Amino acid sequence: MKKLSMVVLATTVLGAALAGCSSSGGSGSSAEPSVGVAIYKFDDTFMTGVRNSIEKNANGIAKTEIVDSQNSQPTQNDKVDLFLTKSTKALIINPVDRTAAGVIIDKAKAKDTPVVFLNREPLPEDMKKWEKVYYVGAKAEESGTLEGGLVVDYWKAHPEADKNKDGVLQYVMLKGEQGHQDAELRTKYSIQAVEEAGIKVEKLAEDNANWDRVKGQEKMAAFLAAHGDKIEAVFANNDDMALGAIEALKAAGYFKGDKYVPVVGVDATAPALQALGDGTLLGTVLNDANNQGKAAIKLASLLGQGKEITKDSVGFDVTDKQYIWIPYKKITKENMKDAQ
Amino acid sequence: MNTRRIQDMITQNAIYIVLVVLIIGIAIYDPSFIGINALRDVLNQSATRTIIALGVAFILITGGTDLSAGRMVGLTAVISASMLQIQDYPRRFFPGLVELPVFVPILLAIAVGFLFGMINGLIVSKFKVPPFIATLGTMVIIYGVNSLYFDMDPNQSQPIGGLRADFTQWGSGSIGSGQYSIPYIVIIAIVVSVLVWVIFNKTRLGKNMYAIGGNEQAAKVSGINVSRNLIWIYSIAGALYGLAGVLEAARTGGATNNYGNMYELDAIAACVVGGVSTTGGIGTVPGVLTGVLIFTVINYGLTFIGVSPNWQLIIKGIIIVAAVAFDMRKYAAKK
Repeated sequence: MKKLSMVVLATTVLGAALAGCSSSGGSGSSAEPSVGVAIYKFDDTFMTGVRNSIEKNANGIAKTEIVDSQNSQPTQNDKVDLFLTKSTKALIINPVDRTAAGVIIDKAKAKDTPVVFLNREPLPEDMKKWEKVYYVGAKAEESGTLEGGLVVDYWKAHPEADKNKDGVLQYVMLKGEQGHQDAELRTKYSIQAVEEAGIKVEKLAEDNANWDRVKGQEKMAAFLAAHGDKIEAVFANNDDMALGAIEALKAAGYFKGDKYVPVVGVDATAPALQALGDGTLLGTVLNDANNQGKAAIKLASLLGQGKEITKDSVGFDVTDKQYIWIPYKKITKENMKDAQ
Repeated sequence: MNTRRIQDMITQNAIYIVLVVLIIGIAIYDPSFIGINALRDVLNQSATRTIIALGVAFILITGGTDLSAGRMVGLTAVISASMLQIQDYPRRFFPGLVELPVFVPILLAIAVGFLFGMINGLIVSKFKVPPFIATLGTMVIIYGVNSLYFDMDPNQSQPIGGLRADFTQWGSGSIGSGQYSIPYIVIIAIVVSVLVWVIFNKTRLGKNMYAIGGNEQAAKVSGINVSRNLIWIYSIAGALYGLAGVLEAARTGGATNNYGNMYELDAIAACVVGGVSTTGGIGTVPGVLTGVLIFTVINYGLTFIGVSPNWQLIIKGIIIVAAVAFDMRKYAAKK
């Protein structure tokens, strides 16, 4: 009897779990189209901001179902199949791998379900496959340019920033995931912006830290071990890595007394704003999670109802009939409130 | 006597009961789950996992384990994708490569899987490195090899896309159309399952595999060449991961060096839930298939009815631990 009771117990627990924990999708009116949302991974800080914005802005215009692709393209494709089987009216896809968008577009087109790609831009030839495919995101090069601008402003206002007085800015670069479009562009355009402002630069080190705070800290510790006080600026492709770098710098005695090095990031996440307030992070660039989420869900809702997409209906400029570009913004201690 | 027989039946078939209960539970919550489309999705999503899990099952039954499975899937996905891009794709991995017959890169990828499997087998059998450690090492090595390959000029770690339609059809195409179609990958998984069943049950290699897992010393004493059998078993498992990698690339129309990450853990979980003993000597093909299906039903079904992904993880974990605990009781009771 014991074994039997074990099976029964396990089944009951499972059943209770099933019944108890289904996320309340809410039973909105039938006028609200169902929208399937697949995020590349849930534990990404920036995409969590976008996800929260989608949820918030969906209120009253769409019924959303948001799933985690666990940073795996095959998993994401599985989720897309699921949404299409459930006949959702539109999809919002934040691809794990931008080249995989082609296959997703084919699947969606076969079921006549419009797709809004989010944050990772599909290749132009894939975007051309179907007119009901849209992209909402930011122009990565702009974030790089603004990030470089933060360092330019600091360098020009603080002559002591040139520690070895050679007139050259010695810097280190923490890059995001190898091959990620944003990582490549931010790296390139941030330095380009500095050079275009007439400042000579010298790269002391550059390494991949995978957008990750822990890795940012490890790599920065290694940079410090190798170059120490020669480093005059730290560029990170995102805030998480910048914050990791700050931890490593703190451990090396920076940010106490007048030992300082400017660190810049991108994303303006909540922990980054905290660091701005503390005076450890010099500046960041707001990748506008709120407006990205808002534009995506607005667009998906309209597409799901078969309505026309115009600047007036979405509330954002539509470029080339398929693109909505959400601008970036420079954030420093002075205008922190804009990012909160 | 009668209640005892019922108890025995339940004990022996617990995993099948769990699967049925899961499906019924989900269907009660949302009846639209029961349908041909959802069934096809579940089978579709189980296909590559089945192939990987069967590979891992070989090794678990010998009393070993294989942590390198997922990274092998990633390596072979990248290899096959790199040689099967369309001719006019702007970012080709090998810009000058002629259009190869589709089976050439596929066989090459499977051969690479076989080779790395053989290396695992050699390390385990000849150098007597415990399988957990041996495959932990090769897991890291294979990821390194894959990342080097993936970072070669002119690709430089860009995701590989633009795969040929005659390749991707193996991952996304199907026989028949509309409601009553069967995806190719499901058919491939079924064929592989049958082949593996034959190896397990009808060949000397299969019998030796169970013998080695049951008691390696006894197997050795009774004249089984343990090293040779282990090398073969690890190699076959590697070839299966190779095939799975090829299918993952075909299914998604692309590949990166991150493909397959942690798949080995899913596969091991599916095996143990399916009744494969982690101490070796025990395991069946239908059990493994059921284990895989249970996890796909959890993944797919719980998402279908809108259970939050965090809860899905908790439920998965409970099922893994419960299944093994139950299994232990089953065999303890026998002894």
